[in-house]
Amino acid sequence: MSILSLDLFLAALRLATPIALVALGETFSELSGVINVGVEGTALAGALLTAIVAYYTGSPGLALLAALAVGAFLGLVHATWAVYLRADHVVSGVAINLLVSGAALFSTRILWGWRGTSPSAATLNPWIFVALCVVFVVLGQIYIFRTPWGLRLRVVGEHPQAADTAGINVNRTRLLYTVLNGALCGLAGAFLFNNLGRFTEGMVGGRGFIGIAAMVVGNYRPLPAFAAAYFFGLVDALQMRLQAYIPSQFSIILPYLLTVVVLAGFLGRAHVPKALGKPYVKEGR
Amino acid sequence: MGAELRLARELGLVLASLALAFGVGALVAQLSGLSPGPVYRELIRGAFGDQYRIFQTLTQATPIMFTSLSFLIAFRAGLFNIGAEGQLYMGAFFGAWAGFTLVLPPYFHTAVALLVGALAGAFWGFIPAWLRARRGTNEFVTTMMLSYVAVYFTSWLVSPRGPYHGTQWANQTVRILRSAELPRFVQGMQLHWGLVIAGLLSLVLWYFLFRTPRGYELRAVGQNPRAAQYAGIDVPRITILALTLAGALAGLGGAAEILGTHRRFIEFFSPGYGWDGIAGGLIARAHPLAVIPAAILIGALRAGGMGMDRAGVAPADFASVLQGIVIFFVVAPELFRIFRRIRRERRVLVHSQP
Amino acid sequence: MPTEAVRMEGITKTFPGVVANAGIDFSLFFGEVHGLLGENGAGKTVLMSILYGLYQPDSGQIYVREKPVRIKSPAVAIRLGIGMVHQHFMLVPRLTVWENMAVGWEPRRGPFLDRHRMRKRVRDLVEEYHLEIDPDAKVEELSVGEQQRVEILKALYRGAEILILDEPTAVLTEQEVEALFRTIRALRDQGKAVVFITHKLHEAMAICDRVTVLRKGKRVGTVPISEATPEKLAEMMVGREVVFRVQPKPVSREGKELLRVEGLTVHDDRGLPAVQNVSFALFDHEILGIAGVEGNGQKELVEALTGLRLPKAGKVYVEGREVTGLSARDLARLGLVHIPEDRQATGLILPFSLAENLILGRQREDGFALGPWAQSRGRIFRYAAEAVRTFSIVAPSLSVPVQNLSGGNQQRVILARELGRNPKVVVAHQPTRGLDVAGMEFVWEKLLELRDKGCGVLLVSMDLDEILMLADRVAVMYRGEIVGIWPREEANKHELGLAMLGGRIAAR
Repeated sequence: MSILSLDLFLAALRLATPIALVALGETFSELSGVINVGVEGTALAGALLTAIVAYYTGSPGLALLAALAVGAFLGLVHATWAVYLRADHVVSGVAINLLVSGAALFSTRILWGWRGTSPSAATLNPWIFVALCVVFVVLGQIYIFRTPWGLRLRVVGEHPQAADTAGINVNRTRLLYTVLNGALCGLAGAFLFNNLGRFTEGMVGGRGFIGIAAMVVGNYRPLPAFAAAYFFGLVDALQMRLQAYIPSQFSIILPYLLTVVVLAGFLGRAHVPKALGKPYVKEGR
Repeated sequence: MGAELRLARELGLVLASLALAFGVGALVAQLSGLSPGPVYRELIRGAFGDQYRIFQTLTQATPIMFTSLSFLIAFRAGLFNIGAEGQLYMGAFFGAWAGFTLVLPPYFHTAVALLVGALAGAFWGFIPAWLRARRGTNEFVTTMMLSYVAVYFTSWLVSPRGPYHGTQWANQTVRILRSAELPRFVQGMQLHWGLVIAGLLSLVLWYFLFRTPRGYELRAVGQNPRAAQYAGIDVPRITILALTLAGALAGLGGAAEILGTHRRFIEFFSPGYGWDGIAGGLIARAHPLAVIPAAILIGALRAGGMGMDRAGVAPADFASVLQGIVIFFVVAPELFRIFRRIRRERRVLVHSQP
Repeated sequence: MPTEAVRMEGITKTFPGVVANAGIDFSLFFGEVHGLLGENGAGKTVLMSILYGLYQPDSGQIYVREKPVRIKSPAVAIRLGIGMVHQHFMLVPRLTVWENMAVGWEPRRGPFLDRHRMRKRVRDLVEEYHLEIDPDAKVEELSVGEQQRVEILKALYRGAEILILDEPTAVLTEQEVEALFRTIRALRDQGKAVVFITHKLHEAMAICDRVTVLRKGKRVGTVPISEATPEKLAEMMVGREVVFRVQPKPVSREGKELLRVEGLTVHDDRGLPAVQNVSFALFDHEILGIAGVEGNGQKELVEALTGLRLPKAGKVYVEGREVTGLSARDLARLGLVHIPEDRQATGLILPFSLAENLILGRQREDGFALGPWAQSRGRIFRYAAEAVRTFSIVAPSLSVPVQNLSGGNQQRVILARELGRNPKVVVAHQPTRGLDVAGMEFVWEKLLELRDKGCGVLLVSMDLDEILMLADRVAVMYRGEIVGIWPREEANKHELGLAMLGGRIAAR
């Protein structure tokens, strides 16, 4: 039985989707200068909300909207802390992850009496999400490099003072793209739910962080980041097939280990936006 | 005099945010159809109701103390160790291995096994440390990834086809030798001397950070790497020291947990002690001496949560939500202070070069 | 069309602790190049930043094309046709020329950036103003002179009729300066109004039609170039009297050479020579002042002398022993200490306590530590208490975070620390920057104390008055070279001012 087959490459595409969505979202937010490590929790929240709304309303479409909304909301929270209150970007993100993780366990228990899982509910075809993902990635690439707003986004993250003197509101720009980041992570969570059919507490499984790694490898460009996400998805798909031949744990480990290897070898080739993580303070006035 | 006042104010802020957090928690409980009164009562009873429960709380708190210290030491150097869970597992497994493989006199065996666990954790912390110091690789993602690797790798080691599968009925190693056991306080209760070790370590770490030149340098790097560099401090060396030490602390905690509580390595034995360590470190505001109460708080939430569950007033996971809210509010005063400083800054104009 | 482009009346602007502009009047016509001359701290950049909307004046009125205006932000200024080329460029190195120019005013085709139209527009501007630049080049690949051209083109693209150039020649080579002047003349002939901020006398005289001189926030006067002579401008720039707040006592010297610099050449961050073949010596019981306008290589000189930057060529000796290239720590051990210019960024760790900052960089010293694992707390606190007493540091306790202290007290902490090492050579870089009068007097007294005790002090400062007050010998640094060293009695302000502006005087 051949491992390499069309089946494998399609499965890779599916598995890459949540990673790619997070990578795209984080690209937007980091290009504007905001680090968001809360992507893991935001995706989880998206998955959770999808499960809840799908179960209670029976409408997968509504569930999808709920996922986007909760993602955007968490993005808003993070942006408020990081941009306006000038808190440490990473601490804020970590706090979001912890809070969502606790809330997830709690909610499933309260609502369904099960710890960390949900019953199945109406789902959409996951391939819809894959298609959306590809479309967004392409749109993202075009937006960032071919439109005026994309140009402004890049300037804000590289040289906020130059953006300011060109009349661009730096903090508002950062807020908007972080909210967008959140929404895309919510979408990633919605995909995970629709892919599995129900919610489990570990369903994000580090994919948020792998998404960040994919963004770094992709050098903050949507298309290369998607390629990196696809690579991770391929490894993920491969490991599932390899489980017949090697112990399951090893194949599970593979994507994580590979992420470290890739990041380690990626010395300085990624150009990080100069103003990343630094609050912008206007002088004078 | 000023120092005491500031400490009092910090403490006051923490207590205020805790109060606020529990207030919001009550609200959340209400909205979820639970009645806050019985919930909190059972929570406290579950954590501190009788000697058995207090012991349970402390047992839960012990590994969290180690992982909190782990997060803390890295944080003080300006680094984020998110991989305490994995370092814990490495320490747990290799501590167990030393426990059933080596033959040594009692207590001495325990000490050696603990040391082996600490070294395993240190190694697991050294990898991202080196990558960060020498290649600038972001340690947040690397420690995170290695965490997953450690958890699944140790799981394989005790899987049915793994080399250390010790018993037929569960994925775990054989039992450690009696000589390697970390003694417990009371017959029949799981609370072990790891608690004391953790307590001592928090003192040691406090002393290290605030009373030694190396600790001074570590804190300097965490606060102002540039000034530290100008002052001749070897920043990459400190980075490696901090993360490796963080790994060692978590590894030690894992080994202690095995040698004291479980007496054998069991796959997936940790209910998230590593993550609780991050929470603990944040709640303790990175003060080594505050780690003990912070870890006990989290342990209390866990044990109390189980109590709530048994009493039927709320699911155990409400405690996790409380924990999340507590973190949110404990980190928040920092923000309010920053917010106040921002407003002050806006009124005072920044003077750049004329 | 009105010929008066800008009129600023009674502009006053204060920042905490300093009056940057005090009731300044300024007028600018179309078709002229108006030079704005003055030392550091004179207020030139602040005045023009107000015109460009970066700051709001405390009082005063601005008229553009004879209409009163309130310029609340650069966007407003740009709409009024005012453009500014800053000393530190507002360019994104990774992006191309056309992208940098377009941001905020992007030509569009539907939702997309119309790159063709933008590139064409750039090429049109290039042709019109003879500013050769490739629209598709990445800014990071351009030379500094070319980058400046991009900034000028950017201002022109945004419709500037009034152009402010802030020290534009500071970063240019001779040829690039020539090219820039050609451009400026072309702009003027086209009817644009140009403000040329500079401290270089010969350039001001070469390109400007009128020159306004500012000193310490006030306007000294405006002269048409036909009536301007170097001496006159220098005198306007530095003023007549020196206000003596402290007086050095006469002191006898042993003639011991404490510091010798030979042929030192240092490159800046861009790899260009900032310090060129500098040689001088510092002796016991003396203060050698190095005067000069900021940006003439002082920063790199200090960094090379204090172990923070490796020189490209030349040697440095402390008490006859070669120390070229040694680290700050080693230099301190050999008796050379540094009072840094930017105390908050590199001299202090703000959240650390007073006592902790007093041992920054010295935490491993034998008196303070027993190896890397033990500190002598008792000794540290005693030393700290002593330092607080000796240096009159005002603080509630030894454990208060140093960020709570005033600027003056923070500087005393640094002085206490560095001077507490009993140095032989002290390199003080802008030691009174940002301090109030009391703080400044304290620093001056300490420097004189050092000198009286036998140390050699290298005082690098932009404040000529300060140097003339304290120094036994005065050197002037211009464009990376020491253009002259005068004994204090023979130095007069005019000559020094001229030297600082690039006027050539025979050095004694």
